[in-house]
Amino acid sequence: MSHDSPAPARRSSTGLWVAIIVILLPAVIIPLWVPLYDKSDPTLWGFPFFYWFQFALILMSAVLTVVAYLISLVADRRRRGEGR
Amino acid sequence: MSGIAVTVFVFLFLVVTVLGFAAARWRRADLDSLDEWGLGGRGFGTFIAWFLIGGDLYTAYTFIAVPATLYAGSVVGFFAVPYTIVAYPIIFVFLPRLWSVSHRHGYVTPADFVEGRYGSRTLGLAVALTGILATAPYIALQLVGIQSVLQVAGFGGSGNWFLKDLPLFLAFAVLAAYTYSSGLRAPALIAFVKDVLIYIVIIVAVIYLPHKLGGWGHIFSSAGDSFDTANKASVAAGQPPTKGLMPPPTLHWAYASLALGSALALFMYPHSVTGVLSTRNRGVIRRNAALLPAYSFLLGLLALLGFIAVAAGVKVSGNPPNPQLAVPQLFENEFPSWFAGVGYAAIAIGALVPAAIMSIAAANLFTRNIYRAYFRPDATPREEAQVSKIVSLVVKVGALVFVLALSRSFAINLQLLGGVWILQTFPAIVVGLYTRWFHRWALLVGWAVAMVYGTWAAYGVESPTQKHFGGPLVNFPFTETKFYIAGIAFLINLLVTIVLTIAFRAAKVDPGVDQTRGVDYTADLGDEEVEVELDPSRPAHA
Repeated sequence: MSHDSPAPARRSSTGLWVAIIVILLPAVIIPLWVPLYDKSDPTLWGFPFFYWFQFALILMSAVLTVVAYLISLVADRRRRGEGR
Repeated sequence: MSGIAVTVFVFLFLVVTVLGFAAARWRRADLDSLDEWGLGGRGFGTFIAWFLIGGDLYTAYTFIAVPATLYAGSVVGFFAVPYTIVAYPIIFVFLPRLWSVSHRHGYVTPADFVEGRYGSRTLGLAVALTGILATAPYIALQLVGIQSVLQVAGFGGSGNWFLKDLPLFLAFAVLAAYTYSSGLRAPALIAFVKDVLIYIVIIVAVIYLPHKLGGWGHIFSSAGDSFDTANKASVAAGQPPTKGLMPPPTLHWAYASLALGSALALFMYPHSVTGVLSTRNRGVIRRNAALLPAYSFLLGLLALLGFIAVAAGVKVSGNPPNPQLAVPQLFENEFPSWFAGVGYAAIAIGALVPAAIMSIAAANLFTRNIYRAYFRPDATPREEAQVSKIVSLVVKVGALVFVLALSRSFAINLQLLGGVWILQTFPAIVVGLYTRWFHRWALLVGWAVAMVYGTWAAYGVESPTQKHFGGPLVNFPFTETKFYIAGIAFLINLLVTIVLTIAFRAAKVDPGVDQTRGVDYTADLGDEEVEVELDPSRPAHA
């Protein structure tokens, strides 16, 4: 059988991709969960909660995407390390 | 508009024109192939791609229309913010796969990929036609954006229609000329100017105007008071109250489905794909997924200009009043005249970048998936580039005629439909990046059913001002909950595709030949067979 060394390498890179999806999931789900943030209080610098919370979500999703990007670098390196 | 504002506006416009023509010499190459003319040589790095894709997605029309909805008291328009939040994590995952397979096989358009993946010219044609149909009204709306600015700025004589629209003609003739000569390099270079201007104008606007008007707290409360007064007036007139600062609980699903549906559709638009395929490698796309939210922040602030305009007591002209004039009118009333000129220029130039990329993307679709697929299977790269250049002109002239000859609300209706239509290519494109399980004919039927349903559903929406195409929301089937039409059509599309795939597979209907291999989807620059610059004369489906 030929899948002696590629198989474990592939599994580890797949695991990283699962991690990436899990990290990115909140950035997709929370903005769509409208009842969570459809309220006026607490306000911040005069902004009702509805507005400033969504601005905060932009920052959160950017940070999560950076983390996902760093993990994807490792995943790509592992994939290349499969001896191709 | 004062002489100073006109001077600033014209000066900035001239700078951009010079840049547009000079772009032909930037990263110099022979522009006689689609890879060079239509994709800028597929070599843009993170920095350029950020400006290009940002300039491409956040259009002048967005900058006019999103604050307009808030100005009109319809807070659901703020869905543009969650929409652009949700889009990037999603594209982070699937777009690098599209980049890889396109680079390996020389695909220029999303329809090229679908054609190669499913071995079906017909399915490729369906995707291409959807793309062209969805993009054309979008280009027309960029013109509407420029028109709004010119109207408030008082440009153009008030005499006959020709003099009135002369500035618009000039702007578009110039745009058409440099797109023709420089291809994607022109909007890439102009995007720098556009985005820098937009960022400056918005940052100044959201700091200076609240300071002048008594702070954000005051802006929100006076906008809220103004909406309450309007609501009392509607109730007194026997109509339901519609305005507010917060979405009512009945519209939560509408808000979320608009955000998700638009996010999934965003990178199905051919011009977004063009931007993505012009990048140098997979890392550029992923880094941009993390960097592009800066534009979402900008868009959110910009949307709030709608409330600022209410608080500043901006009155718009037109009968019924046209809320799309709110932002330009706000600039006119509140900014010193030279800075109002910068603001107008930012919006007008902001229309040119996406209009150029959209016309290039539509032209590439026509060339690859109609002209070459059906009429000239052995067209040379040179011939392809020539056809694309000419079609890009035709598309722009078409958009111009569209806006001038037909009503602007017709363009807006079609753009609404465009969003519904383009999402229906998602199963073929994105699911196709992961699995070949869907049957090509099942995808085609699913697409067709969803297109018909979506168009019919949108036709049936009434609003106070329009009998048809009055909005993007209908009741979700068998419920009383408002939902985005594109989302319902998409679910129907998936359902039909899955059921028919099972049926066609059981009946052993020919599934077609797949030109791609598993490794194609993860290939990156530096891998075997992935060259820095593609050889344009190499057969595309080698």
